[in-house]
Amino acid sequence: MSAPVLNYRTRGWLRMSVEKQDTLLKMAVLSLAAILSFSCRLFSVLRFESVIHEFDPYFNYRTTKFLAEEGFYNFHNWFDDRAWYPLGRIIGGTIYPGLMVTSAAIYHILNLVNITIDVRNVCVFLAPLFSSLTTLVTYHLAKELKGPGAGLVAAVMIAIVPGYISRSVAGSYDNEGIAIFCMLLTYYMWIKAVKTGTLFWSTMASLAYFYMVSSWGGYVFLINIIPLHVLTLMITGRFSHRVYVAYSTLYVIGTILSMQISFVGFQPVSTSEHMGAFGVFGLCQIHAFVDYVRSRLNKIQFEVLFRAVISTVAVTGILVLVVLTAMGKIAPWTGRFYSLLDPSYAKNNIPIIASVSEHQPTAWSSFYFDLQMLTFMFPVGLYFCFTKLTDENIFIILYGVLSIYFAGVMVRLMLVLAPVMCILSGIAVSSMLSTYMKQIDDVKTEKKKAKFEGNYFMRSEIATFFVCVMSVFLVMYTLHCTWVTSEAYSSPSIVLSARGHDGSRIIFDDFREAYYWLRHNTPEDAKVMSWWDYGYQITAMANRTILVDNNTWNNTHISRVGQAMASTEDKAYEIMRELDVDYVLVIFGGLTGYSSDDINKFLWMVRIGGSTEKGGHIKEHDYYTPAGEFRVDKEGSPTLLNCLMYKMCYYRFGQVYTEGG
Amino acid sequence: EHCQQPVVVMLRLVLLMVCVTSALGAHTLVLVDTLATRETHSIFLKSLQERGHEVSVKAADDPSLQLSRYGEYIYQNLVILAPGVEEFGGALSVETIVEFVDGGGSVLVAGSRDAADLIRELVTEVGVEMDEEGAAVIDHLHYDANDDGQHTLIASPSAGLIESEVMVGPRDAVPLLYRGTGLITDADNPLVLPVLRAPSTAYCYNPTQAITDYPHATGQNMLLVAALQARNNARVIVSGSLEFFSDAFIMASVQTPQGAFYERSGNGKVVEALSRWVFMEEGVLRVASVKHHLQGESEPPSAYTIKQDVEYKIKIERLEDGVWKPFLANDLQLEFVRIDPFVRLTMTPHPNGVFSVNFKVPDVYGVYQFKVEYNRVGFTRLFSTTQVSVRPFTHRQYERFIECAYPYYASAFSMMVGVFLFSLVFLHHKDSPPKHKSE
Repeated sequence: MSAPVLNYRTRGWLRMSVEKQDTLLKMAVLSLAAILSFSCRLFSVLRFESVIHEFDPYFNYRTTKFLAEEGFYNFHNWFDDRAWYPLGRIIGGTIYPGLMVTSAAIYHILNLVNITIDVRNVCVFLAPLFSSLTTLVTYHLAKELKGPGAGLVAAVMIAIVPGYISRSVAGSYDNEGIAIFCMLLTYYMWIKAVKTGTLFWSTMASLAYFYMVSSWGGYVFLINIIPLHVLTLMITGRFSHRVYVAYSTLYVIGTILSMQISFVGFQPVSTSEHMGAFGVFGLCQIHAFVDYVRSRLNKIQFEVLFRAVISTVAVTGILVLVVLTAMGKIAPWTGRFYSLLDPSYAKNNIPIIASVSEHQPTAWSSFYFDLQMLTFMFPVGLYFCFTKLTDENIFIILYGVLSIYFAGVMVRLMLVLAPVMCILSGIAVSSMLSTYMKQIDDVKTEKKKAKFEGNYFMRSEIATFFVCVMSVFLVMYTLHCTWVTSEAYSSPSIVLSARGHDGSRIIFDDFREAYYWLRHNTPEDAKVMSWWDYGYQITAMANRTILVDNNTWNNTHISRVGQAMASTEDKAYEIMRELDVDYVLVIFGGLTGYSSDDINKFLWMVRIGGSTEKGGHIKEHDYYTPAGEFRVDKEGSPTLLNCLMYKMCYYRFGQVYTEGG
Repeated sequence: EHCQQPVVVMLRLVLLMVCVTSALGAHTLVLVDTLATRETHSIFLKSLQERGHEVSVKAADDPSLQLSRYGEYIYQNLVILAPGVEEFGGALSVETIVEFVDGGGSVLVAGSRDAADLIRELVTEVGVEMDEEGAAVIDHLHYDANDDGQHTLIASPSAGLIESEVMVGPRDAVPLLYRGTGLITDADNPLVLPVLRAPSTAYCYNPTQAITDYPHATGQNMLLVAALQARNNARVIVSGSLEFFSDAFIMASVQTPQGAFYERSGNGKVVEALSRWVFMEEGVLRVASVKHHLQGESEPPSAYTIKQDVEYKIKIERLEDGVWKPFLANDLQLEFVRIDPFVRLTMTPHPNGVFSVNFKVPDVYGVYQFKVEYNRVGFTRLFSTTQVSVRPFTHRQYERFIECAYPYYASAFSMMVGVFLFSLVFLHHKDSPPKHKSE
């Protein structure tokens, strides 16, 4: 639509009404932001190739391919005998299918209109596409909270915020890529529903919520924050029929819809994570009923009745909860959730959760790295929200405060924090700029008036200075984001690159080479044992049966593999015979200087291997030197030097010349 | 995509290097110390020829010796009747013979009191140790009347033979003549079989020396003939006596000190049976075919579903006189394994060599293997695994309406009706209050 406008630009610009100019400007900024968010995620495609990144995306890619080729019912009933040999995995019932369904739908629609595009390319470009959509949703969300100005700033900010880019570059084909869009969409619908109190918007919100549930396990955050919002509104006396309609509709329809995802199943009515939402739903009914009764009774009668009912309900409620939990009807809190509340929980109790680097607590520096100026703008935004408390502002305050806590617990949840940071910063920047811009304008147009209102010293200069400083900040933000995206978040990790002595780029394609070797040189039904990190990639690229993969659902099985890796050769042989292993894959970085190889991960294999009953003989301290060091040279502990992993990694390594000599 | 593939069936037959024409046209190389051995062991060699072996007798140090040509073995069987050889001729060495066994070849080795280091080294490779040089098996209770006074010509009772008709033929009471060194094996080695144990009163020592220390091999721990059936089913027989196979011993009569007299020694029959066994003419089994499918069907599905009824059939054949014939046994078992066996059943034999069994797939999904393992003394190892996937129910296979859920259905529908009626009432009652007010 911008093309005809450009043609008439010279004459038509001035002729357009103010509203039209306003709309044009907004559209221009918004579409630029959307294009920007798409294009700045393409670094890795330009630098390497159109390739899927990391580990999990390979599984998503493989399942998407299956879905696109075999149809939904086969996908839903898919029993994968290639993974988790010999247990197998019911794929249809253990994944969030939203991502695959989305890509398969796009694939089919494009092919329907004769745009023949490969499934892989759909997968590669899905995350950038959805981040463009996120930009648009963010605009609308912030617009609802503050106004179009805040919306535009927030949209531009989220287009390039590194915390979000890190999970949504081209090729990073993971649930989070679309989940952030779904989350913000649900928030937008929710705020609309709360504002209007109509069934339409609340139903839309539950549909958006369903999409969110179908695509990411992080929906639990969403189904807790919305009830929390309602609860806060109740406590602050803002509960109204609008909120009642919005929440009751959302909870009922949303819960029924979410139970259609077979991986979620009956969790919404049985696990503790969802109990908050259920409790608030009950409270809503009570609150509405109490309001009704209050309007019918006089004050004293009401007081008596109110106290009696409240105390009975509270006591029975707690009793029922305790009894149900004790009987096991309500599942106890799962490990992942405990680690949110108590950062040391996972590390002390569940090695498999602690071993994942993205489950580690966040370092302070990474807040700045991922958010830059947003870290400072966030409190400002909060301040502006507090100055004008509305239902929806309370929501964004809650979201901001909660997510900053969760992001501090787990690196991964930086992703949830980034959007709210952008929205709040958008509100802050927009509010401040509109305040000061006005003052500049004031001074220019009505100089005399300004002189009389001389309360402000050098009002115009300060305003100009402030606007300049803010512009510098924003420019710095842009530069920082581009640099971070280019340097840190655009390497596919399946293809490694390094700088040579002369500054040229060296590409290591060893991973794919190894997987293709397996594909071409091993029997079709060969079983490959490797650490679980490589599971998805082996099934996707080498097409071989694997024992454990990145869907770490069976700790015992992973532990068995850990035991094989950590045992002496003869013990390992027995374990591998038991599991019918034909090949063992280890990643050794000693030659090229690749630091995250299997020796680096080895202590986790020891810990996980020793964490189950059968691995009782594996003790972590046996693998350290008497001085407590983890050494792989001749002074390393004999247990380490004789274990399968070490022997395989350093097999005939002495005969090879490395750069180090 | 592999879900749709036909079942990934893995069939491993660890059997059979020998084809139907087992003995017919089998090339057998006989190595001797002196060509005179051809005369002294003529009965043994003649029986080989009669059974269809193409026998070539050569001196053990013949420089033209070779077992393989262009990577293929020219002989299937190797007989070493040369205990005195210091070094093999041509391309032959201990390593090539071990390789020959690894490649599935059969070997028969005979030693003696004075066997050279080379032979000792060779038999050590197959898990048998010969006693020291000069030592001979001595038994002061079981010797033949023709003995020269040192009691080294043993009339070993046939009770010492291994209990396997396939290996040593039908058992009778005739003792076996033996003169040579004793063999020691590691009792923990499951692959080595004691074909002929020495009598309990026997020991092994140099008969001309005074006994100063405890003999290495005594009584029933000492073997006279040992056999190895390697993991690849290659067979090796080691005897501590070259004369055990000789015409003289086969034709000799036996008189024991206890006074029993036998016209002929037992050697003839045992040597014949042993050579048939070692050269893969006896005790060879193979899996001819494996079939599995749902009961009442004939083709295997791409994947089984839990709790389905499955039929498994395996056809096993046995080599008899160069022809594959149905094998009959009532102790063949099938295991359905996923790390651990979930099902273990004895199969029903049929006269045509087919063993079959019906069972219900366990209520646990995963990748299973039909596993048949049949290890019996004297027979080749029978091992067959077939991998199949067992999948859980698809969404259509569950029961549609469950009886115990009827109260819930009822409550759901009554709720729906209730809401409908309520809204009807709610909507239509709205009109009356204003009337009251207006009044």
